[in-house]
Amino acid sequence: MTRKSKVGKSVTRKSKTGRRTGPLARPLRSKKPDAMETLLAASAQALALPVDPAWRAGVKHNLQLILRYAALVEEFALPDDTEPAPVFRA
Amino acid sequence: MTPSLRRCSVLETAAFDFSFRTAADIVAAVGAGRASARSVAEATFARIRACDPLLNSFTALTEQRAFARAQALDDARAAGKPAPPLAGVPFAAKNLFDIAGLPTLAGSKINRDAPPANRDATLIGRLEAAGAVLVGALNMGEYAYDFTGENLHDGPSRNPHDLSRMAGGSSSGSAAAVAGGLVPLSLGSDTNGSIRVPSSLCGLFGLKPTYGRLSRAGTFPFAASFDHVGPLTRSSRDLALAYDIMQGYDPDDPVCADRAAEPVTPLLDRGTKGLRIAVAAGYFSCRSREAVYAIDRVAAALGANRDIDIPQAERARAAAYIITASEGASLHLDRLRTRARDFDPAVRDRLIAGAMMPASLVVKAQKFRRWYRGEVLKLFAAVDAILAPATPCTAPLLGQQTFALGDAALPVRANLGLYTQPISFVGLPVVTVPIPLAPLPIGVQVITAPWREDVALRIAHALEMQGVAATLRPKEF
Repeated sequence: MTRKSKVGKSVTRKSKTGRRTGPLARPLRSKKPDAMETLLAASAQALALPVDPAWRAGVKHNLQLILRYAALVEEFALPDDTEPAPVFRA
Repeated sequence: MTPSLRRCSVLETAAFDFSFRTAADIVAAVGAGRASARSVAEATFARIRACDPLLNSFTALTEQRAFARAQALDDARAAGKPAPPLAGVPFAAKNLFDIAGLPTLAGSKINRDAPPANRDATLIGRLEAAGAVLVGALNMGEYAYDFTGENLHDGPSRNPHDLSRMAGGSSSGSAAAVAGGLVPLSLGSDTNGSIRVPSSLCGLFGLKPTYGRLSRAGTFPFAASFDHVGPLTRSSRDLALAYDIMQGYDPDDPVCADRAAEPVTPLLDRGTKGLRIAVAAGYFSCRSREAVYAIDRVAAALGANRDIDIPQAERARAAAYIITASEGASLHLDRLRTRARDFDPAVRDRLIAGAMMPASLVVKAQKFRRWYRGEVLKLFAAVDAILAPATPCTAPLLGQQTFALGDAALPVRANLGLYTQPISFVGLPVVTVPIPLAPLPIGVQVITAPWREDVALRIAHALEMQGVAATLRPKEF
C-alpha cells in the first residue's frame, strides 16, 4: 500500500497483515545490539548522563522501543511545508 | 503485602453519612444548614484515617487549614451571607499541585528536598474561593510517567473495588480517594491518560478538558505540550460543577486559552437528542471482552449505530510516546545527571532513553501531530462525539507485568493508555464514564471536538440518568 506525498514520493506503509513492507531506516533503527550499545554509550558521554552498568539493559530496552515507535512515525510521508504542531508566536 | 479486608464504616453511625454523598448533596446540606462545613470536614478526616491505611491514597493531610476554612464558611453562613457554590465540599489534589506550605512531590523522592510551595495552584485557589475545602495531597506515579499507580517511594494506591489491584495512574490517589468515598472530588492531571485510566479502573467520572482550557499554573509539569489538569468525581453533575468553577483565563499558565468561562451545569439536562454519536473503529476495536461490552452498552443507550475511523491512530500513539519521552527527558535532564539513583528505576530508564533520542525524530512527530490534528478535526464535521474504550482491560493486579489483548501480551506500564494517548495527542476534551461491570468497572471515553466539553458532559449525564454509567460503592467501603 502506498501513499503519494505532496512532493511526489511514494512511501511504503504497513501491509494489511501489519508487517512493515518497507525497509527500516539505518542506522538508528538497526536491530544490531552493537549499534544500540554504541548509541547509548556515545549519548551518555555526550550528555554527561551517568548510566550504571546495571541500568543499561533497561535503558536499551526503552531506547529500542522509542526508536521502533519513531520508525512508525517516520515512514509516514508528510509534505515538506508541514508545520510542527506547536507554533511559536512572537 | 495485601492489607486485611475490613469494612470502612466509621461514619455510618454519624447523623449524616457524607462518605458516598455527592458534592451537590453536601452543598445542599451545608446550604440548608443541615450540616456545618466543620462537621463535614471532621467526618472526612475521620474517614480518611479509617480507610486510607487500606487505600494509600493520601500523602499529606491539611487538617489545620481545612478546619480554618470550614470555620470561615460556617461563620459567613451565621452572618447571613449566601453559601458559595461548593460550600463545604471536601476535595484533595494529586501531589503535583502546589499546596502552600508543602513541598510539591510529584510522586518523587527527589522533590521531598524542594522548599515548600509558597502559594496554591490556581485550580486549588479557585475551588476554595467557591467554598470547597482542601483536605490533603494525593499519591501518584513518579513524575506522572506512569499508568499503574504504583509508586516506589510511597507505595501503590489500591483499587477500592479490589485492594489487590491497581488504581491506575498516574492520578492513582485521586481515583482511589474518590472511589473509596474519602472525598467526593479530586484533582488529577492527564498527559497521556492519567485521569482517564484511573477513572476507568476505579469506576469514576473523569474530565480531561481541551488542552488549554484549565490552568496548570502551580502544577509540576511532565510533557508540557500534552499536560492537562481536571477533576474526578462519582457523578457527572459534580464533574460539571467543579469544571465550571475552575474555568477561565489564567495569565500564569502560558497555554491557558484567553476565553471566557462557558458553564456547562445549566446545560446538563438537555439530553442527547440530535447529537451525532459514533463508535471509534479500527485501532480502537482490538479490546477486551469487558471493553467490548461497555462500548456496546453505551452505544446502544445512545443510539450510536455508526462506526468511525480515527485515521492513523496507532501512529498518533507512537508519536505521542516519542514526544512524551523527549519532553519528559528534557525536563528531568539535570536530575538524571545528579540524582539518577533517587528515581524509580522504571521511570529513570525511560527518561534516560528519551534524552538520547535524536531531535529530528521529535520534530517529525510534531509534524505528524499537525497532520493528524487536521484529519481528526475533519471528523467532527460529521459527528458530535466519538466513543472509545478508556482502557483495554479492567484493573490489573498490583505488580502485574503484562496483560492480554487479542493474541498479544502487552506490558502493563506502557500500554494501559493505549486508547487514551491518540486522543490527548491533539488535546481533545474527553469525559470518561464508568460502566459498572462485575466484579470490576471499566470506563468509556466520550470524545468531542475542541472546546465542546458541554457535549461530552451532556452525554455523560444522560448515560448516568439512564443507569448505564454509574459509580458503584465498593463492597469493602
